[in-house]
Amino acid sequence: MPIQSRSVRPLTVTLLLALSGAVIGSAHAQTAGGILRAGMQADPVGLDPHVTEATSTRNQLENVYDTLVAFDSAGKIVPSLATRWTVSKDNLTWTFTLRSGVKFHNGRALDASDVAYSINRIKNPATKSPRIGDFDLVKSVTAPSKSTVVLTLSKPFSPLLSKLAFTLNVIVPKEAAATLNTRPVGTGPFRFVEYVPQTRMVLRKNPDFWGKDAKGNKLPYLDGITYSYLPDPTARVTALRTGTVDWIEYVPSTDITSLKANTAVNVLGGPAANYRALFFNVNEKPLNDPRVRRAIAYAINNQEIVDVALLGVGGLASAGTTFPNGSYYAKPDPSYGKPNLDKARALLKQAGLPNGFTLNLKVTSTYDFLRIPAEILQAQLAPIGIKVNITALEWSVYLPDILKKNYMATILGESGQGDPDDYLYTPFASDSGGNLTNFKDATIDGWLDQGRQISDAAARKALYAKVQQRLVDLSPMVFLYSSTQYEAARKAVQGYQHFPNTSYIGLRTTWLKR
Amino acid sequence: MSLGWLIRRVLLALMAALGVSVLVFTLLRLVPGDVVTQLIGLEGNVSAEQQAEMRRLFGLDQPIWMQFGTWLIALMQGDLGVSLRTDRPVFQDLLLRFPVTLQLTAMALFFAVLVGLPLGILAALRRGQAADLLSSGFVLIGLAAPEFWLAILMILLFSLNLGWFPPNGYVSPAESVWGNLRSMFLPALALSFSLAAATTRIVRASLLDVLSQDYIRTARAKGLRASTVIMRHALRNAMIPVVTVIGLQVGNLLGGAVIIEQLFGLPGVGRFALEGINLRDYPVVQGAVLWIAVSFVLVNVVVDLLYSVIDRRVVYS
Repeated sequence: MPIQSRSVRPLTVTLLLALSGAVIGSAHAQTAGGILRAGMQADPVGLDPHVTEATSTRNQLENVYDTLVAFDSAGKIVPSLATRWTVSKDNLTWTFTLRSGVKFHNGRALDASDVAYSINRIKNPATKSPRIGDFDLVKSVTAPSKSTVVLTLSKPFSPLLSKLAFTLNVIVPKEAAATLNTRPVGTGPFRFVEYVPQTRMVLRKNPDFWGKDAKGNKLPYLDGITYSYLPDPTARVTALRTGTVDWIEYVPSTDITSLKANTAVNVLGGPAANYRALFFNVNEKPLNDPRVRRAIAYAINNQEIVDVALLGVGGLASAGTTFPNGSYYAKPDPSYGKPNLDKARALLKQAGLPNGFTLNLKVTSTYDFLRIPAEILQAQLAPIGIKVNITALEWSVYLPDILKKNYMATILGESGQGDPDDYLYTPFASDSGGNLTNFKDATIDGWLDQGRQISDAAARKALYAKVQQRLVDLSPMVFLYSSTQYEAARKAVQGYQHFPNTSYIGLRTTWLKR
Repeated sequence: MSLGWLIRRVLLALMAALGVSVLVFTLLRLVPGDVVTQLIGLEGNVSAEQQAEMRRLFGLDQPIWMQFGTWLIALMQGDLGVSLRTDRPVFQDLLLRFPVTLQLTAMALFFAVLVGLPLGILAALRRGQAADLLSSGFVLIGLAAPEFWLAILMILLFSLNLGWFPPNGYVSPAESVWGNLRSMFLPALALSFSLAAATTRIVRASLLDVLSQDYIRTARAKGLRASTVIMRHALRNAMIPVVTVIGLQVGNLLGGAVIIEQLFGLPGVGRFALEGINLRDYPVVQGAVLWIAVSFVLVNVVVDLLYSVIDRRVVYS
């Protein structure tokens, strides 16, 4: 369960990462056939993709369904069920052209009304979708022809494509909607066969799948995937070692080093699309003074937190931004997270607190990766006279408190969905429900609003760089690290590509060497 | 044993189950967070109005007594409701999981009695000798060592090094009886440790107590064979406390062995309840707890009945 409750909004970000060694094998010709046995951390939380937020449901069903557009492994938007799209001059009307010859697993051909139906289903309050807000700005979705879908917006919204690419916002056939929670029906490379709770989910190859590899061979290569549920991390790793499964998700940091040394196994992974930060409630004195917040940032050693709390492999020290290292939109500051106590003391003195103060830090005891850093911070802030009082609470007690902004400082993480907007607007815009720090800055609000209206990537990058610089100056949060995420597979598993956004779309091109 | 006694006993059991239901119903709603907060998590873009609408659709806006009434009336009709998150009927999911828990309990009990009974007898007969000391050592370890730790050691030895058993995963007997037994062996063994230790100790203590009784001396004096004295006279009379202790433990096991089920990936009742608690899926937790309470109570009725089978002097009226 940890993953579901912790990263809630699963991660997907526009990343242009140099994923060296992220693809296993590929020199050999692919052999078709075989069933991949995958060891999963958790059961899906319901099977209806529109009704759930669970990463587990998304990951196990994202190869059963397709989205209108998709992310590639570098986080770029690429065609999926839509082959091309145009946007009007005023950025309000988006027109998508659908791929022809796509069939649902029930045999019926996909048409534009299914796309309209699916988006409207998420928007309909009766569906109880946690992503009802994703399409708030979508005024209407229409299907003027069998292969054309038109989305009309009430305000320009460039993050629209990444909302459409999110693999829970999938296209479903309208006639199957009522039974999606027991029998998923999609257009993806694998069709759903059965789900036995806490035991397994069985998927079989969809011979009519539209996707092809670079050489024009039909995808997928595998005959099927069988997911089994192994919630205990040690048990999951043992199952891979003994070969009772071929592939596992969420390799615990404690096992990464030893698995990398195991010649029967490949470990894949790296940065995940999230950030963990020290959040300040900027309404609380003395944290209402940006100098105090910046002083704290100057006293913190991020690498030490990664080395001690995350055993050196569970995260990457943050370079002063919510974007993970390597992201196209990131504006890293190489000096960030390396302590400079003189500057910290000077700022505190300017703020009238030469002897420091008491900082009440409320954290969750449920996740070590959020609690242990608190103890390190306690030690790191002591030299500048800041006494840290730690209160640790169980997640379900902790979270409602934080959402009510009933805290002085906390350590928390959030994940982006796929657009730079997620990393900056959601946590920092003054009118965003995801703003948990009470942070309010008119300049940043203006820039963030502008960022939603322009679609040129380079122009957005320049704008968001300014936002990130100002966020470091004003420090509503101290950015600590981003978590890493690893999958591991037996050597026979080939062609699997790790996506940095907790997506197992890489299973579409996976094959078993025999 | 009279029928009247049985009816009274079952009625009392039902009252207990109802009490547990009220308690769980109330406690669950006192726990911070509900299914909607779990559903949206940290999601920033679900407005307060949209959240209220979701609560209304889940029926969580009604007063708690009304929610309980609705649940109770459905229960009377044999309906435990459907999961708020998966839409699956709770009763159907419990039926799916109960056989796993039942088998796990039965196998663990079998191993425990297989080891505990002879070891306890041996320890009582060889009181103060090497065998008694060894058995005390076993009892100490069995009661003190956490079962998850023993389970991990067993996985390391039997799965990783020797490769005799799969490290985890569940095989239904409908697919393969042999596969099923192999997949259940290690978890049952891990669970049986503390049960075997408790059985050993209680058998030893109870038997020692009986062996000092006058009628045993008389039996011996009559010249009966030692094995007859032990098996027919002593053991039978020593059995009542043993059955009590085992009964309580079996009641606990039927509630699901959460940690062992997690570790071995078994789809049992305990894991089902845990998942329900984590997701604040009220119908799942209520259904599972009621189920556990009823099985616990039923085991106790069976234990009471066993008393009168073991000792004919015990009569219920």
